[in-house]
Amino acid sequence: GTTWGLGGTCVNVGCIPKKLMHQAALLGSALKDAQHYGWNISQPVQHTWSVMAQGVQNYVKSLNWGHRVQLQEKKVKYFNIKGSFSDPHTVRGLTKAGKETVVTADNIVIATGGRPKYPTHVAGALEYGITSDDLFWLKKSPGKTIPSFILYVSLECAGFLTGIGLDTTVMMRSVPLRGFDQAQMASLVTEHMESYGTKFLKRCYPLKVEKLESDRLQVTWKNADLDNEETDSFNTVMWAVGRTPDIKTLNLETVGVKTNPETGKIIVDASEATSVPHIYAVGDITEGRPELTPTAIAAGKLLAQRLFGQSAELMDYDNVPTTVFTPLEYGCVGLSEEAAVQRHGSENIEVYHAYYKPLEFTVAERDATQCYMKMVCLREREQRILGLHFIGPNAGEVIQGFALGIKCGATYPQMMKTVGIHPTCAEEVTKLHITKRSGLDATVTGC
Amino acid sequence: MAQRLALQRLLALPTRGPLASHGRAFGTSAGRRNTFNVQDGSDFQDRVVNSPKPVVVDFHAQWCGPCKILGPRLEKLVSKLEGKVLMAKVDIDDHTDLAIEYEVSAVPTVLAMKNGDVVDKFVGIKDEDQLEAFLKKLIGA
Repeated sequence: GTTWGLGGTCVNVGCIPKKLMHQAALLGSALKDAQHYGWNISQPVQHTWSVMAQGVQNYVKSLNWGHRVQLQEKKVKYFNIKGSFSDPHTVRGLTKAGKETVVTADNIVIATGGRPKYPTHVAGALEYGITSDDLFWLKKSPGKTIPSFILYVSLECAGFLTGIGLDTTVMMRSVPLRGFDQAQMASLVTEHMESYGTKFLKRCYPLKVEKLESDRLQVTWKNADLDNEETDSFNTVMWAVGRTPDIKTLNLETVGVKTNPETGKIIVDASEATSVPHIYAVGDITEGRPELTPTAIAAGKLLAQRLFGQSAELMDYDNVPTTVFTPLEYGCVGLSEEAAVQRHGSENIEVYHAYYKPLEFTVAERDATQCYMKMVCLREREQRILGLHFIGPNAGEVIQGFALGIKCGATYPQMMKTVGIHPTCAEEVTKLHITKRSGLDATVTGC
Repeated sequence: MAQRLALQRLLALPTRGPLASHGRAFGTSAGRRNTFNVQDGSDFQDRVVNSPKPVVVDFHAQWCGPCKILGPRLEKLVSKLEGKVLMAKVDIDDHTDLAIEYEVSAVPTVLAMKNGDVVDKFVGIKDEDQLEAFLKKLIGA
């Protein structure tokens, strides 16, 4: 697979290239909208993959360098070696040139991150398929692509590939966005993607991938609904079936660091310590933690402060906001509706919701059918807000501010007292008043 | 590659007299005689640190836009000085340790080196006048 410089998954094959390519796709939509606003732009507008890829890859490389400089400035000694434990306080490694280096330490932190899984039971998956790790580093356009299975990675990639004009199909075995507010928000996101041009093969799973003479790939799959086999050819097959911790070569068993046998992740306590007291782990490889950049960074910082700075503060993993950067973005903080119902019972929950239309969509004659938001609150006493979910443009920017409110224990009455900024999409959150319970039509109209 | 470098050095040696015109007849541009890409740490030691002539060291990167403008601009001015100063180019991704050793943080970073010491330095892009002054100071001082 692809290799990269300092900065971890986020910088090299995650958030950064993803968001930049998502932006490339959004700009494509903006160019289409621009005509309605008076701009003379000849349609259809063309996109050149290599120009985008070079810009993105150059930026990532500049970040790799920036991290190297930072390590130097903070006087952190950097060994570019492939390491493994030889005993609980010793790491041994080999440089690319084959030279062995041994380092001992009082405290060791493991933060290797994950690598994409391949569906190895599918013939040809490993030889002919790529993963998102590779997608961001392609020099040539992936062409007609099929990001397969259904995780947020697959939807985000399918979204921007469609946005830049590529023929893209998502194959999904079961439900989209497992782990997020499933039933409703996930289906709104995928509905929008369908109207946007992404093809979906629902309730299908791949059987084999074969290479054709033309260099295209023939994919054969089972359609569970029709109970038959179907096939089509693509330029690129991209697997997005989850990531697995990159810890197999670390020799963890020898030193006694325990992992969850099902997930393969390292088991840690609230202080990020593994089963061996002076060995810690942070980030995507840890069991039960969100696979997000900010939580990994914060956990690492707090760990450092506890070890060397006389602090006792532990990482708070509650109410962590996040966003899926699909063409119509989905941002959320707090509990999903399902989780709230499970924890408190549906009689103790009030869900306020609204279908709204972003002002910018009006003149551009854009379809806003899936622009939606809901707020899950406790019904009793102060009516504390348990979760907020928003589908629309700039969802990440919208949710970030509200995450502070939820962290501070904001209540529904406090939200209603908060004056909205006009005209924005975010202001609709402060005006939510139609409950699911009432059964009333939740469409709200702005000015 | 080694042969071309050896040839360049051979051509660079006599800057006066009949051999100078032979140099031009071989077809190498004047610029390329005085500019070279650093191959590794010991190459840097030989041709920059131990250089009898002052050397301008251009730390650059593939992903750096301003570097692509500064590089040729500097090369052109160095070549006009006909061998009084040499120019060494260092790709910081290929030679990270060297770049770190010389405390490069942003690129482009250009060092002026004389007798193995860093006597001057600038970071970022400069125009021709500024570069001429920088080079004049290096050979004059």
